[in-house]
Amino acid sequence: MVKKIAVYGSYEAKIPVKQRFWKRRKDGIRQRYWKKTKGTKKIEQSGRYEFHGTGKDLYKAVIKALEIMPKGFVDVSAEEFLEHPEKYGQEGEWIERKVES
Amino acid sequence: MNEKLKAKPLLGITDTETVMLDFDSTPFKKVKYWASRIMKYFSLEGFLVLKSSKNSYHIVFNRKVSWTENVRIMAWACLESCNERLVKWFLLQCRKEESTLRVSAKGKKPSPRIVYRCGRQDAEIRNYIRHRSLIKSIIRKLRFKEVKRND
Repeated sequence: MVKKIAVYGSYEAKIPVKQRFWKRRKDGIRQRYWKKTKGTKKIEQSGRYEFHGTGKDLYKAVIKALEIMPKGFVDVSAEEFLEHPEKYGQEGEWIERKVES
Repeated sequence: MNEKLKAKPLLGITDTETVMLDFDSTPFKKVKYWASRIMKYFSLEGFLVLKSSKNSYHIVFNRKVSWTENVRIMAWACLESCNERLVKWFLLQCRKEESTLRVSAKGKKPSPRIVYRCGRQDAEIRNYIRHRSLIKSIIRKLRFKEVKRND
């Protein structure tokens, strides 16, 4: 297995706020549903990218990763990440907080 | 606000086939002792010690191993050395199913630098150093880009 580059840390991102609502089903049971609202909220969480690939792609992927925050634990080839970065992350800002490797 | 903008993610090397250990709050003499003991016990051919901060060291071994053997070696090191920080690091690596060592600077801590070499360095250590220099060149380019943008 090839060695990978880990890009990790804590970040702040804006995520859409979800609102709950209830609807009565045909069988009479009140079912809870969630819908996305236009509002957003700032959250602080940690995430990490694990990139593998060639040097040039890795460099480009790391630069891209500075702007796009990972959605949890993302293990992807640098080439694929560069093609569809929105699939693997969301916009946000890296922040300094104590993290473990 | 400015501090937040300046903040950057940490960069590290992740691998499953290289035995890597993170000894925190341990003096260099002890780290050297444990590294050579582990190397002899598991026939790991050679090792490399990197200083990450005061009394914190990273060890990388030369022989290629499977992930199961890697976990076995790391667990043995944790039990024998009784180092709580190493145990915590080991648990984090088990959770990811691969081990990671930091290469970039972290807060006030500088990037880890090589302080000691022992035995053969031609297999995993060579790959590790090659990858480390690639990450370092990426960091250098990023810094250069930032300086250019500020100018």
